[in-house]
Amino acid sequence: MITAQALIKRYGAKTAVNNINFDIKPGIVTGFLGPNGAGKSTTMRMIVGLDRPTSGSVTVNGRAYADHAAPLREVGALLDAKAVHTGRSAYNHLLAMGATHGIGKARVNEVIGMTGLDSVAGKRVGGFSLGMGQRLGIAAALLGDPATLILDEPVNGLDPDGVLWVRNLVRSLATEGRTVFLSSHLMSEMAVTADHLIVLGRGSIIADAPIAEILAAATGTSVKLRSPQAPALATALAAPGVTITSTAADSLTIAGLTAAEVGEAAARAGLVLHELTPGSASLEQAYMQLTENDVEYQTLAPALQEVSR
Amino acid sequence: MTTTIAPTTLSRLSLGRVIHSEWIKLRSLRSTIWSYAIIVLVSLGMAFVLSSALSNPDFGPIIDSPEHTLIQASTFGLSFGVLVVAVLGVLVISGEYSTGMARSTFTAVPKRLPALAAKAIVLFVATYVVGLVATLGSAVVALVVLNGNGLQPAITGDVISSILLACLYLSLVALFALGIGTMLRSSAGGIAAALGLLLLLPTVLMVFASVTQAQWAVDLIPYLLTNAGESMFLGGELELWQSLLAVVLWAAVPLAGGAVLLKRRDA
Repeated sequence: MITAQALIKRYGAKTAVNNINFDIKPGIVTGFLGPNGAGKSTTMRMIVGLDRPTSGSVTVNGRAYADHAAPLREVGALLDAKAVHTGRSAYNHLLAMGATHGIGKARVNEVIGMTGLDSVAGKRVGGFSLGMGQRLGIAAALLGDPATLILDEPVNGLDPDGVLWVRNLVRSLATEGRTVFLSSHLMSEMAVTADHLIVLGRGSIIADAPIAEILAAATGTSVKLRSPQAPALATALAAPGVTITSTAADSLTIAGLTAAEVGEAAARAGLVLHELTPGSASLEQAYMQLTENDVEYQTLAPALQEVSR
Repeated sequence: MTTTIAPTTLSRLSLGRVIHSEWIKLRSLRSTIWSYAIIVLVSLGMAFVLSSALSNPDFGPIIDSPEHTLIQASTFGLSFGVLVVAVLGVLVISGEYSTGMARSTFTAVPKRLPALAAKAIVLFVATYVVGLVATLGSAVVALVVLNGNGLQPAITGDVISSILLACLYLSLVALFALGIGTMLRSSAGGIAAALGLLLLLPTVLMVFASVTQAQWAVDLIPYLLTNAGESMFLGGELELWQSLLAVVLWAAVPLAGGAVLLKRRDA
């Protein structure tokens, strides 16, 4: 369990994290989503005490991270794939990290095996690819067999095999009862990995809910139907708050009603339906809607298009 | 909700373990091995050159006692060694900042000060041992050369204590550099500052003193790190306790400053 209370981080005049509160629960994967510069990494750094909050607090299992007797046993963190001395071998890096907690060679070799680094463990980290760096970062996070894992963009730079491996690893860690907190800017990755989402925009929490709820709440969820009596149906369904658009002679898109309501209305009016499809918004759409006003570095694409016309 | 993982009391953080970790870190970098190897090799070479020169009447009259000549020859290489150790001391911490390793270190040791203390202890002991190897090896080289040239220095208590004090000076310079590196967090800046204080400051102060005739500047010169350090084992204007205290302060002040900043800043 990770608990943030009124957490604020300012760098000079810039507020990176603006008064956020959350509880990250064990046994599920909690995704941390937000545009670049939203404050995700800063929040994660504050959890492990690398950055000091300007005010507020964040605790792991009831205590500040630094106050635990065995921090690496409590939390495994991958905050930066390249948080490793480039002149040291992967094996020696893990050995030195583990040594602080009396974690020995056996466990080091175990995590090297788990992360598939056997063939490069003796090589200096400076020559590692981004993907190997990520695997080493994950190996370091797993060293203490921690009850809580914090992974900042763990699939960054991984090949499809690696992405699948991280996804399965993260799911199985949560199934074992651990707290897993995972950030990503890949919405599609979140959709298949996370159970719960915290969406951050400009340092504030925009949404904190189960993934299914975030998808359902996304406005623009619409129902598509095909019917030979489309015009009659449109009349039957017309009501305040309902938007009906006709995409072809026999098809309609209805916003503001559920598929069930549309079906029932059609039955009451005695009209024939050939197709009735509840269109769920993709996580991507939901995310775009949530963050459209909270993007730190917005592209000027619309303005540019205007000019080029 | 069940948590299957119970942290065992066997694997908690402790200073002894952090020291072990820092020892693994120090010995697993090539820069450490190179630095220490260079100190030993240069020291042996200097001992040979200096003992040959000082015991050969062709180079000038032999004025010092054979024992003092032995001390000079055994420790001569360390005046170069302190420069190497100053670079190494800065790199031990600045290398962690430049590569990002510092974030891993301070995630494992979130209270931070034990990590700095462990670095200081490991660096001090390793440097002292390397200094001993260099000076004792140099003493053997010098003894062979001096005996061959007819001078027969006795291995007195003075010789032994000078060698031990020279190694202490070397180790304290390493701590001085570690403190500078911790404060500045940059390899280039840290090395420039450490070498500047070691090499440049004595010259600058000397020129300043001779130009302005300021007595305070003249009085200050013996307390500069390099001068106080060398007078620890070669003798000079200062009493041993004065030069030792000066060198200890030169190491302690940057380390304390580094500790304060380390605790206060974001890692």
